[in-house]
Formats: sequence, C-alpha cells, structure tokens
Amino acid sequence: MFDSLDIFQTATAMARHAGARQAIVAQNIANADTPGFQAQAIAPFSETYQSTGATQMRTTRSGHVSGSAIGVAQVELAAAGSEPAPNGNTVSLEEELLNSVAISREHDRALAVYRHAMTVLRTTLGRS
Amino acid sequence: MTDFSNAMSVAASGMKAQASRLRHVSENIANTDTPGYQRKVISFEEEVAQGMRSGAVVTGPMRLDQTELTRIYDPANPLADASGHYDGSNVNLLVEIADAREAQRSYEANLKMFDQVRQMSSALMDLLRN
Repeated sequence: MFDSLDIFQTATAMARHAGARQAIVAQNIANADTPGFQAQAIAPFSETYQSTGATQMRTTRSGHVSGSAIGVAQVELAAAGSEPAPNGNTVSLEEELLNSVAISREHDRALAVYRHAMTVLRTTLGRS
Repeated sequence: MTDFSNAMSVAASGMKAQASRLRHVSENIANTDTPGYQRKVISFEEEVAQGMRSGAVVTGPMRLDQTELTRIYDPANPLADASGHYDGSNVNLLVEIADAREAQRSYEANLKMFDQVRQMSSALMDLLRN
C-alpha cells in the first residue's frame, strides 16, 4: 500500500533521474579533452515530468503494469555543450561543473522530500 | 546505484588519463636538454567496450612528436658536427607548462565530480539510517 503513494514514487523518480544525469555529466567531464567528443545531456526532471502529466503513471515498456519506473528509463540523450574547440570537443568544463552542483542539489531535494514523507507516515502511525 | 558506481568509475578513468598525460609532460620537461629527444604526446579516446560506448576515457598510444629538432650551435660539445651544430630536443617548455595546467584543471574537475557523486550516494545511504 505504502509503496504506491504518489509522493514516494515521484521522489524516487526524481532521485533516480538525478543519478542518471550525474552519470552523463561525469562522462562529459572525463572526456573534456577527448578530440571530437560531443557533450551530452539529459533534460531536467521538471521537463520530463510535465511532459507526461503529473498524475499519470509512466511505463517504460508496454508490458509494465505499474508505473514504478517513472521518468528515468525513458530519458533521451541530447547533444549539448558549447562552441566546439579546435579539436571538435564541445564540453565546457564550467557548464558541466555548474550542472553537477545543480543535479546534486536536486538529488538532495528529492531525498529530503522522501524523508519528510516518511516522517509524516510515521507520525500518522503514531510513532515518532 | 549502478548510475553512481558508473559515474565514479568514469570519473576515475578521467583522473587516470589526466595523470598519465601529466606524467608524459614531466618526462618531456625533464628531457628538455637531452640531445635528440623527441617530445612524447598521447591522445585521449572514448572507451569502447564490446562495441558499446562506456563513456569512460582511455589514453591512446604514445606517439613521438615529429617536429624538427632544434639545431644548437656549440662547437665545444662532443656531439657537435663539422659545422659546430648538434641536435637538441624539440621540447617547447611553454607548451609543456600549458599542457600541464590543462591536465591539472581537468584532473580537478574529475575529482570534484567524484566527490559530488560520492556525496549523493552517501546521502542515499543516510535514508536507511533513520
């Protein structure tokens, strides 16, 4: 019963999304000096969330019944980055670092929401 | 969780690549005055494991810079030929220093990334604690 609470699902999806985005940023930074490397990015959670509607369950495969895998598995990589360097590399270190901090904060936010919902749940059950 | 461990190994591969670049730079700098020394350069490539791009970075094969060696005029040198010249190295200190700085900057970015991911994953672990 409790695992299908919307707030937990949304917070989980947000945290998972942040993890996936952070992995892409790590790849960009590792390849900051690789000739011809194209920077990649995943759209922020707020965008993917709005695109499917707030209450609608999201599934990644038609066989899935529950929407437990909201948001993240369907992420699309898009080319990102700035003006290419002479060697064709489009990674901007500053931009990526900024992104990584923003993503980290987003992840914290998701965990805070999760923890708070948990507290509310505990209080409801009469345990504190 | 796999995202986090992936991100960590990718950041580690970046640090490893930058460190080996820095090692080649220091070899070049150490050999600035070695007669006939050609500077070593390495290139970075995206890792492809089993036909899949893993996103990690690897260093390509080491190559020798084929730029012409500098001719140094020093008739007293035992290596000098009839005209009093001998071949020095083709290392340009300015280029090497710039390369070292760039490697350092990228290394720090990777380290920062590693730390960021580590913090995120330990925040996740904290959820279990209370």
